[in-house]
Amino acid sequence: MAVSPKATDFFAASEAGAADHELQRKLESASARHLEHFAEVRDEFTPYENERATARAIKENALGRLDELIVELTEKLTDHDCKVFFAASADEAREYIVKLATQCGARHVVKGKSMTTEEIALNPALERAGIEVLETDLGEYIVQLRGEPPSHIITPAIHLSKEDIGELFHEKFRVSYTPEPEKLTAEARTRLRESFLRADFGITGVNFAIAETGTLVVVENEGNGRMSSTIPEVFVALMGIEKVIPKLSDLPHFLEILARTATGQKLTTYTNFLRGPRADGDLDGPREMHVVIIDNGRSAMLSDPVLRESLMCIRCGACLNVCPVYRHIGGHAYRSPYPGPIGSIVSPSLIGSSTAYLPFASTLCGACKDVCPVHIDIPRILLHLRWKETSSPAPPPWPHDAHRARAGARMFARLARYPRIIRFLGHIAAVLVKPFAENGWIGSMPPPFANWTKVRDFPAPRPGHPRPANSAGKSIRNGRS
Amino acid sequence: MADLSDIVARVKDALGSSARGDLAEIDANGAPLHALSANDRAELATQFGHELKSVAGDYLGICRADEAAARIAALAAETGVRTAAIGEGVAIDTGAIATALETEGISVLRTAPGVDADNRTQTLRRVADADMGIAEADCAIASTGTLAVVSTVSRPSSLTLLPPSSVILVNVDRLVRDIAAAVATLGANEIANHRVTLITGPSRTADIEKRIVLGVHGPKSLHVLIVWPRDE
Ligand code: SF4
Repeated sequence: MAVSPKATDFFAASEAGAADHELQRKLESASARHLEHFAEVRDEFTPYENERATARAIKENALGRLDELIVELTEKLTDHDCKVFFAASADEAREYIVKLATQCGARHVVKGKSMTTEEIALNPALERAGIEVLETDLGEYIVQLRGEPPSHIITPAIHLSKEDIGELFHEKFRVSYTPEPEKLTAEARTRLRESFLRADFGITGVNFAIAETGTLVVVENEGNGRMSSTIPEVFVALMGIEKVIPKLSDLPHFLEILARTATGQKLTTYTNFLRGPRADGDLDGPREMHVVIIDNGRSAMLSDPVLRESLMCIRCGACLNVCPVYRHIGGHAYRSPYPGPIGSIVSPSLIGSSTAYLPFASTLCGACKDVCPVHIDIPRILLHLRWKETSSPAPPPWPHDAHRARAGARMFARLARYPRIIRFLGHIAAVLVKPFAENGWIGSMPPPFANWTKVRDFPAPRPGHPRPANSAGKSIRNGRS
Repeated sequence: MADLSDIVARVKDALGSSARGDLAEIDANGAPLHALSANDRAELATQFGHELKSVAGDYLGICRADEAAARIAALAAETGVRTAAIGEGVAIDTGAIATALETEGISVLRTAPGVDADNRTQTLRRVADADMGIAEADCAIASTGTLAVVSTVSRPSSLTLLPPSSVILVNVDRLVRDIAAAVATLGANEIANHRVTLITGPSRTADIEKRIVLGVHGPKSLHVLIVWPRDE
């Protein structure tokens, strides 16, 4: 939940994450399994590349005429008896939903999985209003029980082992301890089923909103979104303005790629098409349906020609799984509901300046760009955001050493104009660091270089290679050697 | 508080003078339904069955329309079902299925022709308490093993959501090749006017160490029977 993060928190948290080898083991194994499944379903689906390109073209087009599409969507939803509310900011969206829940006398809110509700920090606000709010996606349910935010946008409890979850259930529900996923899931099913049946207010996010038909599409595997939008009398769908696509026939192109990259499935178990409240005599669906369309920084992203591309994201989570930084420090270290590469480019706009340091938390290796189903050039956007951040009149509060790093960079920039001097200094440095090298790596050096070697190992210079290759994070190298 | 015109104005501003390409027409690439021969259908049914099994669904195969009721009643009896919930069919007569179930001594909850708003909560509970929910799909997708169910007053989609065992019938004429063909077949009108759900296998999760577990919120098992309406 949106704690107010500080840059120093990020450094502390990422160091803690980097030191947690158990966490890395969990992330490595989960990511490896995901990438394996993904490779399988991608290879057997020959139109994959075409679908990727088409999906991107549709998004590009949709963003270019987003104003018209929002008008069209709103008209259609209103025709279907939805109440559409526009929120310029997270505060407005949160206030609207809390007020609505209070007015309808809601006591039990059930929530399907929604990153946007995390973005606006909805749960604490509902709780403050005395309303019980229950996360019903199994992973979200687990992290909510632990009082933690999710650590991955697709697999919220990726940082926990089955034993951790077994203990959690044992402690919270006083059931006998079991680490078996089947039994733990059955326990959650029983508890959540009862909560669904008595829930009076449901909330979910939205994956795609089709302007042509006024349809909100929610994809999921468990059925929590389906339950939350079927049973409660009042239902709220919360979506960012960028979720709109023009036509119904655009949708299949996204469905063909989303599940493949997100979970290695051909299609998710449930693809829900929601249109409005139920008709007379209908059993399913709410009596009242509200659609909250939120800007909260998105129109500013749209106006930035480089950053605009990040609004094409379909939140598949694949870039997290391939990211060496994410796999090393875990999602919590990012201190944003949106972690990983995509989080690093959208958080500064959606969460605020407190996450302005995230674009710097990347090695720019480009793995995210390669895997992204809609070809978002994340490294380019990261560089763009770094440039924006450092050239802004009030750069973010960096840890105390930052000014020295900047001064160093400035000096380097000046020297770099004289390649001969650089080469000469390189030779001197190679001689000076030699005593610290061990097995071809420099693992620790005295101050003032200690800060550098604390978090990174440096390849020892070899004759004829005065400029070392990019250094790797400590235990990544340890894992390799 | 913002309203539509504020948001549109912000977006318009943000877009500024950037080019707004034409809306490219992107075709649905599914083959039209009537172009399929009996052979094509049999092939689609085989592919559908294969894909359904790969998502942990139970493929019951193809049967003639007059055999469907007996097949489902037998399945219900075998799996120890005591209560089954059933709605109206799309093309198939579900009345016969209800009768066959009752002959097996299974009590049947009929959701057609619709519910009274006052009884809604109770009806939802009764559907949730049924051991098996029986419904007919409006369309099925061969390439993914998916069923498309359209929710109406007499065919609520909670029949395929709340009971732990879900049985879905589908007429062989309603099999299509891929997602695009399904969306095109259902059509903008149907989708604008009804809740539609695409169902691909039983409810599942991989939230605990990425291990797949079935039946988190929705059905734990999904059985699909394809019905061949003619003698061919
Ligand atoms: S940026 Fe691309 S890879 Fe990352 S979550 Fe979004 S769509 Fe997926």
